[in-house]
Amino acid sequence: MIRIAMVSFAHMHAWSYASCLKMLPDVELSGIFDENTTRGRKMSKIFQTKYYSKIDKLLEEDIDAVIVCSENAKHKYHTVLAAKSGKHILCEKPIATTIEDAQEMIDTCKLNKVKLMIAFPCRYGSPTIRVKQMIDAGSIGKIIAIKGTNHGMMPGDWFINRKLSGGGAVIDHTVHVVDLMRWITKKEVKSVYAEIDTLFYKFKIDDSATLSMELEDDIFATLDPSWSRPLKSAPFWGDVSMKFVGTDGTIEMNLFGQKFDLYNNDRIKAEWVYWGDNIDLGLIKSFVNCIKNNSEPEITGYDGLKSLEVALAAYKSAKLLKPVRLPLQAKK
Amino acid sequence: MLKVGLIGAGTIAGVHAQGWSEIPDTKLAVVFDINKENAEKLAQRFNCVATSDYESIIEDKDIDIIDICTPTTTHKEYVLKSALTKKYIFCEKPIARTVEDAKEMVKKCKEKRVRLMIGHVLRFFQEYAKMKEQIESGVIGKPAVVRTSRCSGFPRAWDNWYADFNLSGGVIDMIIHDFDWLRWCFGDVDRIYAKGLGIKKYNEKNFVDYALVIIRFKNRVIAHVEGSWAEAGGFKTSVEVTGTKGMLNFSSSDSIPIISGIKKGVGNQPGVSIPESPVAESPYTLELRHFVDCINRGKEFLVTADDAVKALEIAIASLESIKTGEVIKL
Repeated sequence: MIRIAMVSFAHMHAWSYASCLKMLPDVELSGIFDENTTRGRKMSKIFQTKYYSKIDKLLEEDIDAVIVCSENAKHKYHTVLAAKSGKHILCEKPIATTIEDAQEMIDTCKLNKVKLMIAFPCRYGSPTIRVKQMIDAGSIGKIIAIKGTNHGMMPGDWFINRKLSGGGAVIDHTVHVVDLMRWITKKEVKSVYAEIDTLFYKFKIDDSATLSMELEDDIFATLDPSWSRPLKSAPFWGDVSMKFVGTDGTIEMNLFGQKFDLYNNDRIKAEWVYWGDNIDLGLIKSFVNCIKNNSEPEITGYDGLKSLEVALAAYKSAKLLKPVRLPLQAKK
Repeated sequence: MLKVGLIGAGTIAGVHAQGWSEIPDTKLAVVFDINKENAEKLAQRFNCVATSDYESIIEDKDIDIIDICTPTTTHKEYVLKSALTKKYIFCEKPIARTVEDAKEMVKKCKEKRVRLMIGHVLRFFQEYAKMKEQIESGVIGKPAVVRTSRCSGFPRAWDNWYADFNLSGGVIDMIIHDFDWLRWCFGDVDRIYAKGLGIKKYNEKNFVDYALVIIRFKNRVIAHVEGSWAEAGGFKTSVEVTGTKGMLNFSSSDSIPIISGIKKGVGNQPGVSIPESPVAESPYTLELRHFVDCINRGKEFLVTADDAVKALEIAIASLESIKTGEVIKL
């Protein structure tokens, strides 16, 4: 039996991860810590597990691992505490809000011999796995370019509070697709240019952007991470799409393209109903397996850091109005 | 009756010839091509004269309109000569291969008081005109992040001129359509950052070109333009315009009113599936009709010569950005 606890439900993905834990036969959801007492108690009731108002108390328990879904800026604090208590960690993306925090998380986990995995569930989508197979098999020849989107709805709450989120749409929605690009091509991003702005809402944090990147091996790529889906009228929360262009052809993937249309007089707007696989379940299974088998997590802290670096470089580029080369130098 | 002299007998010339045949009070009188055989083929189809001497057309006092449908780098010579003989000039896009040439052409036409329209035909495509209408109605609010896409296989044309990057400019030649439409919708451009194969990595043996261009408009709209000559399938386009109140999404492959499945042979022999999207009047005919209408009524063209120069400036800036890796400020 693998015993796993939740650290915070600040990020909405916590709900899905906790549900996945409940689906696995040899896994126990062993408790929930949340700074927000109301939310913590409510979730503990729903998931029928113990609520902890102090993280120290939770970490004193005999548990194997925690899933950190706190606000981005708190990932480091919670991860470092858990690592020092000898717990393995699955941390929500982005890994952190600065390179320094990300590095400290990686170092502390290594020092305490615990596993650190970053939550990039898109790697576990069946369409993604199939596309990677095709590209590995050379079906479209040498990759020339990648065109990606990760559109979403503006999430509000702490996501638009820079101190807690580290940034808006760019930090929120750059990392998934960049992780897929790195994973599928096995190439690192060499430089980033970005146009970033606040065009949809009347707040100061970014909600609009388009990034352009150079990867190793002469691959170029773009990514639109905007919170551009109309809050009230869009039929779906957003998308994760990638087009791979190669010397021998192209592959277009819409990760959530397995859907049908739903119309309902009470709900007014049209909706898309997704019927594809639960990608979060793949992620959680992989995390559980790496604990069981004492193997390296499939998505490492370094992977988390490298995708965060692209988002941070995008902000820097938009400020400088020119491309920024990677790796970024950590501030000492 | 306006008499038309067609310069060039390639693919687009055929489309134009069809257009002229549908417009009342115009008559395609003569077709020129440096390959006389090509000119004759087209002339036969449209019942007019063929020639391999273009000067005879331009100097012919009976010809009112010169319609230029030749590779980009040849536009300048034909336009300058037609300006001298005071013809009405219609010229395919892009106006020229360099901004300097384009400006010289426009200047000469203004000097000679000759009317010049460039074939930025997207403005006459029903879906693109309707999208602009919707954007302008304010239904999606203030436009914010925009994406356009134009994808096909590698174009095959006369002497394979597209394969010569210096002549064609690669796939940027095709997405100048989108550049013009975006400018029409969102105004002037502030800066451009583009990635593509460019001349350095363009390999004419691969018959592939691909470019991803980011345009920042003066009104702060962020646009992303995909141009592809890398597709295995047929031609397709898409547009997404997001705004403060909503979003508009067009995809040519989702806007198909007819799909016919034709069985070949008997039993389970594989057949073909043919999508069709017929419209009462082709955008190319609409474009030429508009040209003639503006001439007859003395109205300004929907695509001014300056619009064509500005679209070219975006294209050239994209190529420059691809080449240098720099952001190009317009």
